[in-house]
Amino acid sequence: MEGRPEDDSELFARAQRGETAAYEEIVRRYQQLAFRTAYVITGSASEAEDAAQDGFVKAFRALNRFRPGAPPRPWLLRIVANEARNRVRSTQRRLGLELRLAEGFRPGDAAPSPEAASVAAEDRSRLLELVNALGQEDREVIASRYFLELSGDETAAALGIPEGTVKSRLSRALARLRTSYAEAPHA
Amino acid sequence: MPDLEQALTALGPALDWPPTPDLTGVVHLPAMRGGGAERRWGGAFENAPRWAIAAAAVVFALAALALYPPSREAIANWVNVHTSFRQVQHLATPSPQPPGPLGERLGLGGRTTLVDARKQITWKIAIPSTLGQPDEVYLEPPADAPAQGEVTLVYATRPGIPIAGQTGVSVLVTEARGAVDQNFFVKMLGPNTTPEAVTVAGHQGYWIAGPFNEFFFNDANGNFRSETVRLAANTLIIDYSGTVIRIEGNLTKAQALEIAASLT
Repeated sequence: MEGRPEDDSELFARAQRGETAAYEEIVRRYQQLAFRTAYVITGSASEAEDAAQDGFVKAFRALNRFRPGAPPRPWLLRIVANEARNRVRSTQRRLGLELRLAEGFRPGDAAPSPEAASVAAEDRSRLLELVNALGQEDREVIASRYFLELSGDETAAALGIPEGTVKSRLSRALARLRTSYAEAPHA
Repeated sequence: MPDLEQALTALGPALDWPPTPDLTGVVHLPAMRGGGAERRWGGAFENAPRWAIAAAAVVFALAALALYPPSREAIANWVNVHTSFRQVQHLATPSPQPPGPLGERLGLGGRTTLVDARKQITWKIAIPSTLGQPDEVYLEPPADAPAQGEVTLVYATRPGIPIAGQTGVSVLVTEARGAVDQNFFVKMLGPNTTPEAVTVAGHQGYWIAGPFNEFFFNDANGNFRSETVRLAANTLIIDYSGTVIRIEGNLTKAQALEIAASLT
């Protein structure tokens, strides 16, 4: 086993048998995604932390209902995102998600993708400003799909909407972004 | 500029996300003890020792929180259950009612009508005839709700039923396809909330006097669901022929049973 990360399905099977260490590894593996997904929904790091934590507790309790062989990411994301939405509802406030560029980020940092290297810094900054200026729903679907790189079904799980709605919402958000990009003064 | 979607994907690694907290500690929370999956909780509860210890810890924590308000946050942090306490506080202190639809601020989903709701779901919505037609209807689609969706009927003023807090709502009737897992449901209510088993026209039900926080059941696909109770009031939950119906309001038990008995 050394050198090969344990397969998700093996981990979930072990966790379903009650192995705490296996569930701890699941949490370690998915905590960043869960936390960032909750952050996209709540717009608050502290609320996102609470939502992710509560989500992992509830997922643990519901492990026996996880269907062996099913993809775990949408299942976990749905539970965590549900927690995040419940928190937004119970506090009756939603902080506007505003994403920022990391200071000093260069395309050469952190092993960028070829796409990252091709985008000039000023373009990134301007594009992010335009994303932040979009409506909440548009920002959430774009952040989920592109910044968190969730698949269509994962985005649907995270946002609590059907996959078809993800497609249509994303299409509209991209159209709005294209329009605003075209209208924005270029550097 | 390259393709917009490529540019957006490229932005991901450049973003300044808040640092991800280490959440692996959840496996050591009291709530996680007793085995990996829910079914093992059942055994642990029946055999009592672990449950008794956990229940005593919760009772102690609640008592401490009640007795020493200034240290609530600290105590909550010690036992790592601060999130639950915050939720209870929100339920107990509804904010003043703003103008607009009554149910909008309760997070019930999208506003609709009975006619449209019936078109969008495949199961029968039960209407309590004693309350008449609802003043507002909300629908949460399955992706954001239990499988096959969730419908909430909102009743504003009704004779003899006080408004709950400052919500402007006297009764909420929430319906979703599924079933109550009695053992799990009762245990998850916590030691301070004791449901009373009732029968309504042959349907199993549970009367819960006083506010509680979360409600657990299995939806139509057998998925575990947790839902936040919307009104800090009394609640009657009924397993109604494959639909879980929750009636919330400042109702007496007799009023709630009468409403439930009139469901058609």
